[in-house]
Amino acid sequence: MGGVSLAHSEREPAPLLLKLEGVSKEFPGVKALQNVSLELRAGEVHAVCGENGAGKSTLMKIISGVYQRDAGEMVYKGQTVHFTSTLQSEAAGIAIIHQELNLVPHLSVAENIYLAREPRRGFMVDRRKLRQDAKRCLDRLGVDIDPDAQVRTLSVAQRQMVEIAKALSLDASVLIMDEPTSSLTEQEAQLLFRVIRDLKREGTGIIYISHRLDEMAEIVDRVTVLRDGRYISTDDFHTITVDQIVARMVGRSLEEKFPTPTRWPTEEVIFSVSGLTRSGIFSDISFDLRRGEILGFAGLMGAGRTEVARAIFGADPFDSGTITLEGHQLSIRDPRSAIEAGIAYLSEDRKAEGLALKMPVDANLTLANMEAVANPFGVIDQELHRQSSQHYVDLLNIRTPSLSQPVRLLSGGNQQKIIIGKWLFRQPKIMFFDEPTRGIDVGAKLAIYRVMDELAAKGIGIVLISSELPEILGLSDRVAVFHEGRITATLTTRDASQEDIMLYASGRGRQRH
Amino acid sequence: MADITTGKPQPAPQRKGLSDRQKDIIQKFAALGSLVILAAVFAVTSNAFLTVNNGMTIALQVTSIALLGIGATYVIITGGIDLSVGSVLALAGVVAALAVKELGMPVWIGMLLGILTGSACGVINGLVITKLKLPPFIATLGMMLIARGVALQITGARAVSGLGESFGVLGNGSLLRFESIDDQGFPVVSFPGIPYPVVLMIVIAVVASFVLNRTVLGRHIYATGSNGDAAKLSGVNVPRVTAFTYIVSGTLAGLTGCVLMSRLVTAQPNEGVAYELDAIASAVIGGTSLIGGVGTISGTFIGAFVIGILRNGLNMNGVSAFTQQIIIGLVILGTVWIDQIRNRK
Repeated sequence: MGGVSLAHSEREPAPLLLKLEGVSKEFPGVKALQNVSLELRAGEVHAVCGENGAGKSTLMKIISGVYQRDAGEMVYKGQTVHFTSTLQSEAAGIAIIHQELNLVPHLSVAENIYLAREPRRGFMVDRRKLRQDAKRCLDRLGVDIDPDAQVRTLSVAQRQMVEIAKALSLDASVLIMDEPTSSLTEQEAQLLFRVIRDLKREGTGIIYISHRLDEMAEIVDRVTVLRDGRYISTDDFHTITVDQIVARMVGRSLEEKFPTPTRWPTEEVIFSVSGLTRSGIFSDISFDLRRGEILGFAGLMGAGRTEVARAIFGADPFDSGTITLEGHQLSIRDPRSAIEAGIAYLSEDRKAEGLALKMPVDANLTLANMEAVANPFGVIDQELHRQSSQHYVDLLNIRTPSLSQPVRLLSGGNQQKIIIGKWLFRQPKIMFFDEPTRGIDVGAKLAIYRVMDELAAKGIGIVLISSELPEILGLSDRVAVFHEGRITATLTTRDASQEDIMLYASGRGRQRH
Repeated sequence: MADITTGKPQPAPQRKGLSDRQKDIIQKFAALGSLVILAAVFAVTSNAFLTVNNGMTIALQVTSIALLGIGATYVIITGGIDLSVGSVLALAGVVAALAVKELGMPVWIGMLLGILTGSACGVINGLVITKLKLPPFIATLGMMLIARGVALQITGARAVSGLGESFGVLGNGSLLRFESIDDQGFPVVSFPGIPYPVVLMIVIAVVASFVLNRTVLGRHIYATGSNGDAAKLSGVNVPRVTAFTYIVSGTLAGLTGCVLMSRLVTAQPNEGVAYELDAIASAVIGGTSLIGGVGTISGTFIGAFVIGILRNGLNMNGVSAFTQQIIIGLVILGTVWIDQIRNRK
């Protein structure tokens, strides 16, 4: 397609690419969308904001033909359209970058980008052209990824870039980006924004969905807010503040993004790691965790933060170093011994490593502490099991129709609360929160921040691993900055700025502890 | 910690259509319903079908499928598969028979030895899968060939017979058998009794179901199959739980071997070929998911009876063994297809 290049002057608005009006969609028992409207002009980046469950994904699936609308109009390039599959919408020039990565791990990057659209020579795939075309897509993104590399060898961020390259290769006139930056670092996000600006100039219309409202200012022209499946508003981005957007998303004003701390950090060191090394992954990691504080781990993707946490938790091995909890040196062989010592770890990948998705709410809440609800013979006390689960459902305000609801049917925020509840039931001494708010809506984020603050106030040592610097700065008392497997600085958050942290995270700052 | 609410009353997530629990019940009744329909059809087409005697015959025939099916259910819930049970039961049976015949051991010790042989095969399967980290399919395929080979080797591929009457008690005896002597002095059976294998099957099914639903171990089995990584990071000893399920499967195969050989009062090294497929089929018909994390003993029990009643009823109606295979194959495809539709969202 690509040829919809439209020289659009500042005076007259660019032509409409896509217009949805009064779109409704109902699933059995749920009105997913009610009377939603959206318009997209050529060369525009149009953000769609809303909490989880607001209907953003459903709307995108209607545009791309995964779902069919029950009512309403959809006009694309002046014609009413009814797509019944993504093949049709792609052929018409609408491409979507999925939030969940849809790549084939055992094929190469180039093969993934042109999957089912391979350039051919007779019956054979034209491998040279395939490689060249893929290289061109990747170069356009400005990322250094080998087109011949197998996708399974790439990091999550690199895979996201491949996914984006794949969408670019379609030369679409409408590009839908669903949380494209959720697994990207600041720098990688900047690369993406540069490409987005190029695409805008070429007249591509972009629908942009993200939970990171702060970054939108760089690229977004207009923003439409959805709430509970209803259309709320559309505004020029520069006429509205982030706080106003958030208020519309949650349907109330949100005075604060972070809770006022109730904790009082002390000088008492409860947990300390010294000289922790795993060759080739991280080396000489040393830090102290004090009672009542939240310690942030900042750094770029792949700097070794998660790897260090997993090693301390016994999920991955390490070569040398000591781990001391409340004065006792620990010997951790596997997650079980770490858990018994009083360490909890909330994995960065909720679905793959945190939850047994097919199992019900109560079974997930008690999974790490079954002994507490069973007699010495291992027979579960049903009543105690129910009470214990209910206690954490109430405590954390987990929204579920019942204790026997499979957790896969709950929202991301509630799923995360279940994992937190699972660990609280163990009464841990220290907890690692690895990207605890990834893909979680604003309201639920605040709830999770409050939990972390209250846990710290109760004397539990908290480590927060996050790629979102505002989160690190807003929540932690001190921050350890990682660069290529080392801690390059440990800063007091009060005195640190985002720029300071970036300096050390990129390895440019001088070592400071 | 009292107030960690978001302040906003979010509506509880609405469910689309039926809840999973309701679907589960429907699935159960669908399987049970088809069982009843099958029985009704056969009752009409054959006079001999709906009799106490035939009921006991079916139950007896179903025991081996059900016992192996229970083991298969455990293994499949963890996301694994056990292809070796047909061979293991043959090996266990001939070990028991040889122990009695060649070594002169008491029958119960011989049988215990047979059952332990099955357990040992399960231990090996478990270790090969968790320590050598071979895929369950390959590990148990290897065991399938090895166990069969050993069984043929130690018997010289000949049946072991002449085991004495006491060897047949487990397979042929009955609980609560009522007889009276009539005027002519002939015995009259007023109630044929419940065969020991059937008693064994029911007791084991109840215990297996209890372990799965009411114990920590059972919960860990489901968690391992539902998400092994999450289970590991929650402190579940995933390798030990996985190995345990193969030991259960092997032990039940050993027991099944002893029961089968006892029924014939002869140990056949070629017994039980392809029984693993019946076991897997009964679990699958009963709603156990081959992806892991889902399955019940009651479902498997129903699955075993579906297969057993089909065989029995088709036999009584004179349907050839070949046609029976075709029909059972179609039933497996049909039930799993229905299951897929049920789970599709």
